[in-house]
Amino acid sequence: MDNNSNQGSIRFSDANIVYPNGTVGMKDLNLEIKPGEFVVIVGSSGAGKSTLLRAINGLNKMTSGTVEVDGEAVPQKDGRELRLLRKRVGMIFQDFRLVKRLTVMSNVLIGRLAHVPGWRAMLNLWPAHDKEVAMKALERVSITEKAWVKASQLSGGQQQRVGIARALAQEPAIILADEPVASLDPVTTHQIMQDLVRINRELGITTLVNLHFLDLARKYGQRIIGLRFGELVYDGSAKTVTDEDFRDIYGRDFTEDDVLDEDVVG
Amino acid sequence: MSAVPAKPPRNWLAWGGTIAFLVAMTWWSAHGIGFSLTELLCNLAGGSRLLQESWPPDFAFLPRLYEPFMETINIAIIGTVVGGILSIPVAVLAARNLTLGRVTWFVDRNFMNILRTLPDLFWAMLFATAVGFGPVAGALALSVFTVAVISKLWSESLEAIDMGMPEAVRAVGGTWLQMVQFGAIPQGLQHYVSYALYAFELNVRASMVLGLVGAGGIGMILEVQRANFEYERVSMIILAVLVAVLIIEQISETIRRRLE
Ligand SMILES: Nc1ncnc2c1ncn2[C@@H]1O[C@H](COP(=O)(O)OP(=O)(O)OP(=O)(O)O)[C@@H](O)[C@H]1O
Ligand SMILES: [Mg+2]
Repeated sequence: MDNNSNQGSIRFSDANIVYPNGTVGMKDLNLEIKPGEFVVIVGSSGAGKSTLLRAINGLNKMTSGTVEVDGEAVPQKDGRELRLLRKRVGMIFQDFRLVKRLTVMSNVLIGRLAHVPGWRAMLNLWPAHDKEVAMKALERVSITEKAWVKASQLSGGQQQRVGIARALAQEPAIILADEPVASLDPVTTHQIMQDLVRINRELGITTLVNLHFLDLARKYGQRIIGLRFGELVYDGSAKTVTDEDFRDIYGRDFTEDDVLDEDVVG
Repeated sequence: MSAVPAKPPRNWLAWGGTIAFLVAMTWWSAHGIGFSLTELLCNLAGGSRLLQESWPPDFAFLPRLYEPFMETINIAIIGTVVGGILSIPVAVLAARNLTLGRVTWFVDRNFMNILRTLPDLFWAMLFATAVGFGPVAGALALSVFTVAVISKLWSESLEAIDMGMPEAVRAVGGTWLQMVQFGAIPQGLQHYVSYALYAFELNVRASMVLGLVGAGGIGMILEVQRANFEYERVSMIILAVLVAVLIIEQISETIRRRLE
């Protein structure tokens, strides 16, 4: 998994997304993310965090403006071009999204779907190379011993590790994580966040993580992006972000509900 | 505390109206088909004579039922397997959340509904005309019948699946087919197996009826014996069929319950 340094850049230019019902999901966004960055996106519920992530792999289509990955516009209609882009962009979900009745290995191999001939995937005849990539991905999140266990038998934290491994199996330039820890307990939350940071460091994969806990954003983010009503209202280093900044992003004082470890407040 | 709204009074007028309507409909229908209680009572005498002639069932005839019975089962199996496979694309394309586009959905859905509207006997006649009377026509008819049964039921359960996993497959760059195979079908698999077993039960019964119109199997033997007034054999066949159907339904139901 060698990542050459001009892979994984993202650029939004005058980007707008209005949903069919008229809701504004993204407003006049101009944003540039460099290869290998670890970006945490914060904002209250409905601020447009998911909208932003899903625009990058074309799950949400732009109303106007563009989003580019490595200098190429993300195709705005479904088809081969868009599939080729998605092949390079891994996604991790709050609800893991595994096939529960299948083994961990089968789930991770789903990350290889766009890399192998269609008939091989269909008949479950995966090339040795792809199985190896999948196994390496499992190694990366230290869960190889569960390779042949059914996904339904794993704990939440383990399932999210499989989710990460599936994304890694894509050998992606970018990883998008939409609230990856929102269904996990505090201890597991920190483990998963550490995994994401470590993978970002080790492999140089550009990583965007949506979070709603402020202390997690501060602790694990390099760069923090704040959204409010679909607009970019903050963009700066996680080291220098102040409580005042968070107040502006949320448009209110923040409370114990906004942090994972309560003793951090104040 | 919010006040609990008062229970609305029962609408006796609507109830009375519905019951009066049902009685009137039944009366009208019975009249239409020439149903008369007195005639039925007179015919009961003839019925009891038939029953006497049918007793006891001719057990010596039982061994000769084996082959036609197996033929019936084979027709049902072929119909279920062929129809079961064909129903997969029909069901997927008829599910609003998975289909390929409005036009495909519309065409497939109407195709499915037409299949459902026409009874199995119609298909048996149609295929008998095409390939001649016999087991092949029966198996073909049951294949179509199976598509009609499974695709309608299954397309509805596919519409109720969680679309998270299919979206995850699209997000890795998967094709539509892969979205269906890896994202949707695993969630609908249990229902599919259950509906296929249900279709098999229906097919066993249907293939006996189809035999009456010449599609081979046990139904054909039944028809031949009836035409020759061999009522003790007829009752033997009916008894055997009854037991067989009960056994098959028991097995199928047990498997289906296991799945849930
Ligand atoms: N498919 C959709 N159709 C209509 N409106 C939508 C759709 N998806 C999102 N929205 C709306 O767009 C806005 C932004 O939603 P988005 O999901 O991006 O917010 P979010 O920041 O991810 O929120 P959360 O923290 O609750 O996940 C919200 O007002 C939301 O209701
Ligand atoms: Mg969201």
